[in-house]
Amino acid sequence: MGLAWIGLVAFFAIFGPLLASSHPILWKTADGVSSPMLRHLTAADVIILAMALVAAILLCLRSLHFGKRILIFAGVGVVISILSLILIKPPQAIVYSQYREALAAEEAQWAVMTIVPYSPTDRFREMEETRFLSPSGKHWMGTTGDGEDLCSRMIHACRIALAVGFLSTGIAICIGVIIGGLMGYFSGWVDLLGMRLVEVFSAIPTIFLLITFVAFYGRNLYLMMIILGLTGWVGYAVFTRAEFLKLREQDFVQAAIACGLPLRSVLFKHMLPNGVTPVLVSASFGVAGAILTESTLSFLGLGLVEEPSWGQMLNQARGQGGVFTWWMAIYPGFAIFFTVFAYNLVGEALRDAIDPQLKKAAQL
Amino acid sequence: MMQHDKPQPLLRVENLAVSFDGPAGRVRAVNGVNLSIYPGQTLGVVGESGCGKSVSALSTLQLVPTPPGRFESGSIWWNPTPGSPGSSPESSTKSSETSSETGSDPVSLSQPVDLLKYSEKQMQKIRGNDIAMIFQEPMTSLNPVYTVGEQILEAILLHQKVSRSQAVDIAVQALKDVGIADAASRLRVYPHQMSGGMRQRVMIAMALACQPKLLLADEPTTALDVTIQAQILELLRKLQAERGMSIMLITHDLGVVAENADVVAVMYAGRVVEYGSVHDVFENPLHPYTQGLFDSMPILGSSKHRLRTIEGNVPNPADLPSGCPFHPRCRSYAGDQRCTASDPPLHEITPDFREHWASCWHVDGHEQGKATRPDVDVVTQIHA
Repeated sequence: MGLAWIGLVAFFAIFGPLLASSHPILWKTADGVSSPMLRHLTAADVIILAMALVAAILLCLRSLHFGKRILIFAGVGVVISILSLILIKPPQAIVYSQYREALAAEEAQWAVMTIVPYSPTDRFREMEETRFLSPSGKHWMGTTGDGEDLCSRMIHACRIALAVGFLSTGIAICIGVIIGGLMGYFSGWVDLLGMRLVEVFSAIPTIFLLITFVAFYGRNLYLMMIILGLTGWVGYAVFTRAEFLKLREQDFVQAAIACGLPLRSVLFKHMLPNGVTPVLVSASFGVAGAILTESTLSFLGLGLVEEPSWGQMLNQARGQGGVFTWWMAIYPGFAIFFTVFAYNLVGEALRDAIDPQLKKAAQL
Repeated sequence: MMQHDKPQPLLRVENLAVSFDGPAGRVRAVNGVNLSIYPGQTLGVVGESGCGKSVSALSTLQLVPTPPGRFESGSIWWNPTPGSPGSSPESSTKSSETSSETGSDPVSLSQPVDLLKYSEKQMQKIRGNDIAMIFQEPMTSLNPVYTVGEQILEAILLHQKVSRSQAVDIAVQALKDVGIADAASRLRVYPHQMSGGMRQRVMIAMALACQPKLLLADEPTTALDVTIQAQILELLRKLQAERGMSIMLITHDLGVVAENADVVAVMYAGRVVEYGSVHDVFENPLHPYTQGLFDSMPILGSSKHRLRTIEGNVPNPADLPSGCPFHPRCRSYAGDQRCTASDPPLHEITPDFREHWASCWHVDGHEQGKATRPDVDVVTQIHA
């Protein structure tokens, strides 16, 4: 169930622009049939869509070696990123109302809209009052204080939630596994030094550091991810260290060294796959934690302004207009709740799968 | 007995001392061990658990974790191209009174190298390529997350300049050599799908895939059934005969030694206490500890009398008794000053036994014996 919810959120994150957009997918005007939506995709949209496609293709090709898959994925990713950053230049000035006006004036014969036919930043300027509308058939989840469609914003916010979760956890795992692995393998003074480093980093209050950085460097999602990653690696380092200390004594590691394999291969090919499971468990909790932290910051008004985010919507539910708008609290609130809950469920399931003893103990 | 046309040993361990720093202070696991292995020879190293057998072997490949381990003294000379008998006249330092304690560089034609002085990078070239090792526990010696084939291929690709498809051929041949039927399909099997004997065969195939000159076998059959043990030992003998490699066979099973080894080193408390050809040691065990070992071995068919055990326990290596470490358990000990005062050096016992060393004050001829480096170059084909 947890996985299903995460899959749904990931689906929204990847296909957000195709699901909720004011730009029609296809429409016929005097100039012929065209797709304004595709033309308005940003470089980031294209990169994410293309990477999802590549990932799906690679998953289908079963015969490929795991390492090769990663390599292809990374390679294609870099190429696509560079290409789309150069080639894709969506129009700067976006006038959402043009489509509705064109349809009303029958300049366009027909248009195929997306499921939620509003962009997250479409404020319906040409229409009469659309602010603070409660959920209705037209706006499924109501509208915000700026007159934006909440449902569309919810869908687009999935991307930020997932990106923050995955990227910051990814950074943390990379640092943590490498430092923890070296600590566990070499032990001795490397271990001593590493543990002191871990202690220093675990003493840093993440939220305050984030607030400080936002104060000095402005609102930047990537900065936020990097800081979350840089402060969050200690747990993974400690886990990896413990695993590697255990693995180092294992016969197959000794055998690998006795075969003359270089250190890199021993560490990452023979020890890491055997010691990474507890890291994966704690990573799924880590993703949940990162999402929560991002929501916290957004709720405090320190997150992004233009881009929709669940925490930011929660914040807007509270203040603007002096009224409490229940739909703006409930939907994002539940989204945060379910996502964090789902990641915890997945972590729980992973742990049970890895350590059946624990499950037995819990049932007693 | 030290002729001039004597071949160079492939491996010579000289006065090796390894200690470990633990909570109870520094513990000497290996204390002045001398061993030699000649090309094509099988050296059996026998002794109780914790007597330093495995540490000696691990030191050869620098696999002793440092810290907590540390090499205190000694050297391990590795001579990958030892001269064949008669072909290389050598300026022999061995025939002179070279004390095993000095550890001086042996002068010889082909330059032996000290493996203990090698860097990690240099050792990686030696490991698996020149000296391979197989371990006691086949159930855990293979990485559970990779197929058998991948692990063999990795070792082959690392040491030999061959393409992947050539490496696959070598791996298949290696598996066939160790008697695994249907070798090609076995490459795609994970370790947990194999039995213990099969896995040990795979380990041997992996170790031998790069044609090493020396195989360190650390109790290769201890964890296996008796029938499988026999098969594995038979296999090792066969492969040794085919390839002419040397084997250092570490075991606590005297039967295995008698069957397989040419030369025996009996170890006790980090020392070699007796050293000689299998025939000499088994016919005339000199050291009281060796005699005790034989007495404690059951003999098939004679179950009338109880086995004799060696009284007492293995001494704590952190707190060895003074003098001869064996004297508190020794049958020959009768309150001698010699035994409690000083550790008897490993002396060649002359003139009755040739090339037979023992370190015991009570052995006849010990005092007349010379403190030469123990060194037996016989390759007795007892199993030919």
